[in-house]
Amino acid sequence: MKLHCFDRKFFHSSPSLTPIQLPSPMETHLWYVIPREVKSESLLNKYLDILSPCEKENVFQMRGEEPRKNALLARALVRTTIARYQINSQVSPRSLRFKKNIHGKPELEWQFSDHGLSPPLHFNISHTSSLVACGVTMNSQIGIDVEEKHRTIKHNILTFARRYFSKDEVQYLAAILDPEVQRQEFVKLWTLKEAYVKALGRGFSGAPFKTFTIRYKGVAGGSFNPLEDLNPEALQMVVDSFDDPIELTSNWQFVLLELVGSHYAAICMENNVDIEGKRTVPVKLTVWKTIPFLEDECVSGTDAVKTVSGLK
Amino acid sequence: MASATASSVSFTSLSSSLKKNQVSHLKKVSVSFGGKSFKPVPLRFRVACAAKPETVEKVCEIVRKQLALPADSAITGESKFVSLGADSLDTVEIVMGLEEEFEISVEEESAQSITTVQEAADMIEKLKE
Repeated sequence: MKLHCFDRKFFHSSPSLTPIQLPSPMETHLWYVIPREVKSESLLNKYLDILSPCEKENVFQMRGEEPRKNALLARALVRTTIARYQINSQVSPRSLRFKKNIHGKPELEWQFSDHGLSPPLHFNISHTSSLVACGVTMNSQIGIDVEEKHRTIKHNILTFARRYFSKDEVQYLAAILDPEVQRQEFVKLWTLKEAYVKALGRGFSGAPFKTFTIRYKGVAGGSFNPLEDLNPEALQMVVDSFDDPIELTSNWQFVLLELVGSHYAAICMENNVDIEGKRTVPVKLTVWKTIPFLEDECVSGTDAVKTVSGLK
Repeated sequence: MASATASSVSFTSLSSSLKKNQVSHLKKVSVSFGGKSFKPVPLRFRVACAAKPETVEKVCEIVRKQLALPADSAITGESKFVSLGADSLDTVEIVMGLEEEFEISVEEESAQSITTVQEAADMIEKLKE
């Protein structure tokens, strides 16, 4: 009877969300929203309704209608996405609580202590002015970063790289003669590095960009050209960390995608060391395009998602 | 020939109106600074006195350029980079721009803790001491 009453309450108090099964270990779920497709005022108000007072305040601190809308969509995406996994029947988008770890990384705070340990659900969000994305995993730390493919920077790419990237990465970029290709590789590298730092959860200063190299597996020393060598094994991204010798490179796996033809999306996931054999288990990725409360579409295997590296 | 004259007239009036805006903007900044130095400043970088108005103005200019904001957009010391639309790449470029403009070197730890124009200006002043 309790459940029946709850069902009714749930139906009236918040519009429905399609429930989804939790991702399995080494599986990532990626959800994204395209802001310009969300126009309905009433829908935006529904999103506002599920935010915490603090989140609402942050949304209104943004200058301009578009940035405000994007900030709103980012929080709404996180809340609705996590609520889909119906970890507990009492969970609704509005009831979710978040906290920050000691380095400031947002995490899920599990309130219902009588249900035992919190589910090891991890998430991370990233957005540009034209895309908002949220990645979800079980048992693994995750970091994601999205950037517009055509993003340019004000500074010269190599000047920027010399200031912020590692020597090997500068060398890699400097060897690319075509400026457009160099720019693309720069953007990809930036998203990968951001995703790694966000996965680590230690903040930008916890893993300064200069202290690690992300490279294609096939590179180290050889004359590997990622633009010609299409061997998927060689195209895998790996990270070499200088400061952390204990941080094994095999601890982290990367996936690099092209989303909806307009964005690069990098996902960095912790390798679940509980898996026997310790061999690198390939990441399984499922991608959904969503307008929360309105429609969801699984876009894995469609043109909306093109793998650049990391997936078999 | 007539069109050439016309365009030179409009250019002159445009540049003079720009100058006017700049002056009034500076004035606004000085006033807010006059008030601010007596209030407790809740910043991570606790300095004896607030940064010079010229420093803040230069920071605003760099931020405005990086984020491609219109010349008349209101940017003050309190302005948060994120609220102005900066993402992580923008913020890093802003710090790089500040390093170039002020000939300083910012550690990544410090770079991460700058979130507003004021914090950037204060850090610059501290590094130039």
